[in-house]
Amino acid sequence: MTTTELLDRFATRPLLLDGGLGSLLIAQGLAAGQAPEAWVFEHPDRIVAAHRAYIDAGSDIIQAVTFGGSSPKLAAVGLEGRCRELNTAAVALARQACGPDTLVAGDVGPTGKFLPPMGTASEADFDAAFAEQCTALADAGADLISIETMVDLREALAAVRAAAATGLPVLASMTFEARKRGFFTIMGDRLLPSLKAMAEAGATVVGFNCSVTSDQMVPMVAEAVAGQDAPVVAQPNAGQPRMTAEGVVYDASAERFVADLMSMVETGAKVVGGCCGSDPEFISLARTALDEAAG
Amino acid sequence: MSTHEQLLQQMRQSVLDGDDEAAASLATQALEAGMAPLTAVEQGYAAGISEAGDLWEEGEFFLPELVTAAQAMKAAMAIITPALSGGAEDASAGKVIIGTVQGDIHDIGKTLVATLLSAGGFEVTDVGADVPVAKFVEQATELDADLVCASALLTTTMTVQQELIGALRAAGCKAKVMVGGAPVTRQWAGDIGADGYADSAVAAVEAAKALVAG
Repeated sequence: MTTTELLDRFATRPLLLDGGLGSLLIAQGLAAGQAPEAWVFEHPDRIVAAHRAYIDAGSDIIQAVTFGGSSPKLAAVGLEGRCRELNTAAVALARQACGPDTLVAGDVGPTGKFLPPMGTASEADFDAAFAEQCTALADAGADLISIETMVDLREALAAVRAAAATGLPVLASMTFEARKRGFFTIMGDRLLPSLKAMAEAGATVVGFNCSVTSDQMVPMVAEAVAGQDAPVVAQPNAGQPRMTAEGVVYDASAERFVADLMSMVETGAKVVGGCCGSDPEFISLARTALDEAAG
Repeated sequence: MSTHEQLLQQMRQSVLDGDDEAAASLATQALEAGMAPLTAVEQGYAAGISEAGDLWEEGEFFLPELVTAAQAMKAAMAIITPALSGGAEDASAGKVIIGTVQGDIHDIGKTLVATLLSAGGFEVTDVGADVPVAKFVEQATELDADLVCASALLTTTMTVQQELIGALRAAGCKAKVMVGGAPVTRQWAGDIGADGYADSAVAAVEAAKALVAG
């Protein structure tokens, strides 16, 4: 789809993304520490079922299981050399789960490599990795590309450049936390300049995902809407993870999460969804709330 | 200001600037000027690291600044450690095995903690990222470690920390276990039976000292 087509979609009402995928797959037997991408090859039926759960819950956009689908990240989980194959297969599984109105986003996460002083990667390494992945996603027929969980602006910009070069609309999210002087990534990138730089580099929609809980993300949306011009996307976590006898649980209730999500929409967020800990129940409640708000 | 005080001030600054060359050259100068090695560590470099930690807490420093500060201290320690009286054995604050659990390739937090622990006087064996439980146990037993530090950055891998604690106990390993990583909380550490937890690399050094001492 074109950027204009995406902008038209949320011109009248906000768009709803999906929620966390890892916890759904773990419930179906994904071992602790196993990469969800491995299941694209091993258990494609379970991936389709997870996507379908979100579509049934009311997601307008689902994100293919390609978050760790860049070559450096795949190599680290024993899937070296399978970037194009993985991204092609994952987009096909997402598409298979969709009806005609649901959009498929190719999901792009960090490479797991770092620029000096943390690591030895170069921006050219990032450019090459993201170009390979984004081209594969576009060729596979993704409707848009969703970049997520970036903590280094330079890596985020490399991903945005590669995604924008495909001609598809681009959602670009970074992970910020509240520090004494404002919202920053762990690398020290400040919220507004980062969002502006990503928009400048070709992102259609800019914003945040992960790391913080939904109530902590509300003020980030306010700052982003007031301080820059690009439409805003927000995908908070559902509370902080906690161990119980039944396994990992997140302590935010779906009701609390949806109330915060609606507050972000009222503030001006155009695309919302959930990150770690959110499940189809959260998205289903969000669908109901969004529809009620739209009348 | 005496020469020693000037040198100590420059040492602290070299750490804050993340200037490893200056840190190393100051270490050589200090030893030549007859400064006690322990003074250089405690009042110079470690004080610099502690200040860097404060700046992190204040929101002034971020990961790159902390990493370069730790690298500067490490460069200085390479020169000072051989000069510490009694050799490395006496100077060691304890033996530590550190790694990121299996399935998790996140490296930076763990490496930062390893660097700061090593700067803080521990003998650190960094077993890397994506480390099988069995390897942690094998290394901890073989090296007779005082402390095992396990990092997990994913909600899908934090359960491996629990597995690791069980395996270490089953193997009769006496080492204390400290856990950390972005999704890990004190509550979680308590729930899975870890001996210690820290929410930042700076806090990890203090926690490690308390665990090994107690």
